[in-house]
Amino acid sequence: MTGGSWLCLLAPLAGTIVILLAGTKIPRVAAAWISTTSTFVAFAGAIWAFLGVHSTPKPTCVSVGALPCTPGPRGELTTAWTWLASGHFSVGLQLLVDPLSTVMMLIVSGVGGLIVLYSIGYMDGDAEERRYFAYMSFFVFSMLLLVEGGNLLLLLVGWGLVGLSSYLLIGFWHERPSAVQAAKKAFVMNAFGDAAMALAFFILIAHAGTLSFGALNFSLTTTQADLVALGLLGGAAAKSAQIPLQTWLPDAMEGPTPVSALIHAATMVTAGVYLIARTHPIFEQARTIELIAAGTGALTLLVAGLIALVQTDIKRVIAYSTMSQIGYMFLGAGVGAYANGMFHLMTHAFFKALLFMAAGLAIHALAGEQDIRKMRGLGKLMPFTKWCFLAGALALVGIPPFSGFFSKDSIVASAVALGTWYGWIFWICGVAGAFLTGLYTFRLWFLVFPGEPSPFVREHYHDHHGREGAWTMLVPVGVLAVLATVGGWLQWSPRWHPFTSWLAPAARTLAAAEPTSTQEYFTSAATVLAGLAGIAVAWAVYSERKIAVPAAPFWRRALEEKFYFDALYDRIFYGPGAWVASFLRRELEEPVILQTGSDIGETTLATGGLVRRIQTGLLRTYVLFLAAGAAGVVLAFLIAK
Amino acid sequence: MNATSLTSILIWLPIAGALLIWLLPLSRYATGSLALLFSLAEVGFWIEQAARFDFTRSGLQMEERAKWFGDLGVSYHIGVYGFSLWLVGLTVVAMAACTGYGFWVGRDRSRAYFGLMLLLTGATVGVFEAQDLILFYAFFEAMLIPLYILIGVWGGARRMEATIKLVIYTMAGSLLMLAAIVAYGLKAGTFDLVDGPTSASRWLFLGFMLAFVIKAPLFPFHGWLPDAYREAPPEVSAVLSGVIAKAGLYGMLRIAIAKFPDPTSFYRTAVLALAAAALVYGSLLAFRSADFRGVVAYSSLAQSGLIALGLFAGTDLGFDGAVLQMVAHGLISTSLFLVAGAVERRTTTGEFRLLGGMARGRPALATLLMVVGIISLAVPGSASFAGEFLILAGVFQRAWWWSAIGAGAIVLAAMYMLRLISAVLHEARGSTVADEALDLRPGELALIVPLVAGLLFLSAWPAGISHHSFSGPSPAATVKGQFK
Repeated sequence: MTGGSWLCLLAPLAGTIVILLAGTKIPRVAAAWISTTSTFVAFAGAIWAFLGVHSTPKPTCVSVGALPCTPGPRGELTTAWTWLASGHFSVGLQLLVDPLSTVMMLIVSGVGGLIVLYSIGYMDGDAEERRYFAYMSFFVFSMLLLVEGGNLLLLLVGWGLVGLSSYLLIGFWHERPSAVQAAKKAFVMNAFGDAAMALAFFILIAHAGTLSFGALNFSLTTTQADLVALGLLGGAAAKSAQIPLQTWLPDAMEGPTPVSALIHAATMVTAGVYLIARTHPIFEQARTIELIAAGTGALTLLVAGLIALVQTDIKRVIAYSTMSQIGYMFLGAGVGAYANGMFHLMTHAFFKALLFMAAGLAIHALAGEQDIRKMRGLGKLMPFTKWCFLAGALALVGIPPFSGFFSKDSIVASAVALGTWYGWIFWICGVAGAFLTGLYTFRLWFLVFPGEPSPFVREHYHDHHGREGAWTMLVPVGVLAVLATVGGWLQWSPRWHPFTSWLAPAARTLAAAEPTSTQEYFTSAATVLAGLAGIAVAWAVYSERKIAVPAAPFWRRALEEKFYFDALYDRIFYGPGAWVASFLRRELEEPVILQTGSDIGETTLATGGLVRRIQTGLLRTYVLFLAAGAAGVVLAFLIAK
Repeated sequence: MNATSLTSILIWLPIAGALLIWLLPLSRYATGSLALLFSLAEVGFWIEQAARFDFTRSGLQMEERAKWFGDLGVSYHIGVYGFSLWLVGLTVVAMAACTGYGFWVGRDRSRAYFGLMLLLTGATVGVFEAQDLILFYAFFEAMLIPLYILIGVWGGARRMEATIKLVIYTMAGSLLMLAAIVAYGLKAGTFDLVDGPTSASRWLFLGFMLAFVIKAPLFPFHGWLPDAYREAPPEVSAVLSGVIAKAGLYGMLRIAIAKFPDPTSFYRTAVLALAAAALVYGSLLAFRSADFRGVVAYSSLAQSGLIALGLFAGTDLGFDGAVLQMVAHGLISTSLFLVAGAVERRTTTGEFRLLGGMARGRPALATLLMVVGIISLAVPGSASFAGEFLILAGVFQRAWWWSAIGAGAIVLAAMYMLRLISAVLHEARGSTVADEALDLRPGELALIVPLVAGLLFLSAWPAGISHHSFSGPSPAATVKGQFK
């Protein structure tokens, strides 16, 4: 099974290297297929690893309450070589295969493979296709390193490298200033997260002396555990675009659409949830911080859902929806229902990748247009896209029997299982979020697909040899539509839960977050009804136009300005920072520090004029002076000591 | 040839090469080839030295010792430790690339130029290998002379001003160091670094440190830096920031910290504060710099600060991280200045407002600048990340706030380096970027790619340096025991 994990990790890296070194010696389409094939090879490796874990005996150690089985049973750690070492501290280049990492490997390489395949059609004809596919393969490698990394430092390495690939791919069209800006913003916001994580690791090194996952079980004082958990939460929030580090994600939509599907929906942005599940022992030591993570999720799911209501760019609507859904996952993982969060991560990967790629079909067919106000009636010309998008939309809202129903409801139910006042607040947020999800999703749906095609659509629509897109684009969309529909049937928590049992050895759900069947049923009823209500309102407002959108200019403006987070950060961070830097240059560097040398020089020359009289031209005088001077200083040192 | 003579060969081979070039009336082409040959042979000898070095053994290796001024306790005493081995390696590799660059661009007055480059190589290796204070001082000064001339003769328009500043600053530091050396030697009765006792004199410590903080440099002793890095020929800036600056940091480790343990503790907080100031101040100014070399210059200031943080943390991780980061930054900075030179040759400028859009049609330039830039901003997984991580984890054990400042500077590094990358490579084509300005030529690639390959290798195995710099289980204990 460890062979599978290495194959899974290294195949995409090999793909990157081959494409980079081959350069223009291979045709563009060859680069595309190298990238696709290597990702599917990685998927094969993931299956290999999965089967390996599956065939190992179930864990023998029984975990008691919140304490997990340690060391991770049903897992295997392999070390290639010592990557970094100093004194007694040492970190290996090691991979961990366990139930949690195999699930992530399967999602990343499987959904990733489909999206890379889709890219072949989507990027066809771009001048720099090879570079695109090299970056895509590099991303898949980095993401796999993140999920397979067998210790915290290697996890951080993967964490940083996915951020790097995200930067490269957001800014792929580097001649567009907006894309370059968005790429830099994404990188810098994530650098904050990386720094927070690094600080958490420094605490662990100082007190536990190691960065193996076992360090998380080391008993720390409450303050230390809180700080470590807080640092990790900072990293998770930055990567997963949770408040307050969320502002980069909407701008990241500047990248090509398959990039949004892969990195900014299906895999990378959900890494925060994986991180919490992976490092849950420390969060359980710092239960307050874990609940703050849940609260962050609850807040983000509402705020993002609200902002999504006023977006007019098709990709941005879906981007805010991603933020909102990751909010659910944080809520689930934060209350201690790690498996539920991970399950939603998986179904979300299916339906959100589907939504992005279906939107990509529409954008592609309309020659790059992304404004939903111009797209009315597209469904008539693109029936396949329409039905696939509908499957994704229903899964997103959580209408049974689509996948989102199974994963989202159990998260909300876990919140109420806490039985505390904040549990109920989380529950209310979850249900309200379901209403918002129904509303913004079907606002998008009713604006774009039903009805007669608008003049704009008629004028700009162009098909691909009689089809809605190249086959490389249609096949992945079809496959994901099926997965988005049936993918949730894997688990319905009140009745059967193989997914939760599978993850239990790696991240067991806290007893406090296990709802009763009654709680599950009434939560499901509430969220489905809320979702349907959202759809109904969207239908009344945007399809039938029976209700007008309330004017409320203040609120509309606040939503359109994304609750002023960007402006605020400019004011309190970037602005003052840039001002301080300019001030230092103007007031300190240029007039004082850079001038000192010249001043000394001039003073020396002036003094030189005065002491010219000593310049006798006799060597012995000079030597005398030199010796006397040096002796004087030496004497001074000897006396002063 | 026995292993011991390698130590001497590494110092005297390039100096002999310099003399040979000055004596022989060769053509420009022949001179350049000969110099390149010498610098490549130097790399070969270093590889041999590294191969023969026993990393499991403690103490000085490949030691050579001859009487010089016996009465005064001065001797010709050279040898290498693990960390000096890496710095010698950095020196010979970077010098080979820079000598090659000078050959490639065809510097005029070639015999003088190449002779000086070789002299500089020998002197710098000497600094890292000398185990006698007088010898160390001789090499330290010998290193400066070729630099003054290289900047003063082959530099840009304001080269004289830059040279004078450099002379004034470094002379001020050197003279105090000389006085400190003499005072130390008279008191101890020997100038030997290995045998010499530790000293508790704060004044002597400060005398040494002043020379080193000017050389490194640390805030606020960096007044010479921006002008020198901007006005020197690009390959000389590369040497200056990649290699020569490391001599200052090496001096802190080998002399100031090892020989003055008590003053080191006494002034620890002050030096850490200066280092942190250099880190933050350098990063902020790099972010506001308007040109390529300005960003790299101030980022070198920031990196010197970071490395000094590691050294003065006084912990295992700090020492190892500092040595790793010296080598990583040496390679990064050398590559960046050579790329800056390549950009300037194509556009006549390094100013950001005149640059842009160079990625289009120049894949080699774009790829190399991107790779080096990203490694320099310490993306996780890179050699410089490994170095910074160890340094900050090491200084964390001293006090948490140093690491917090350092972590903040990592974010700033991302900001200034991405700004540099996009200002040169991305967005609309700059007014000085001609359509036909070519991609990197094979000659340039042959110089820069090996440096980048070295960085990638170190990224795959940073433990190669971090775990092979100090003998024994604990670097801090090894330093405390004066490397014995």
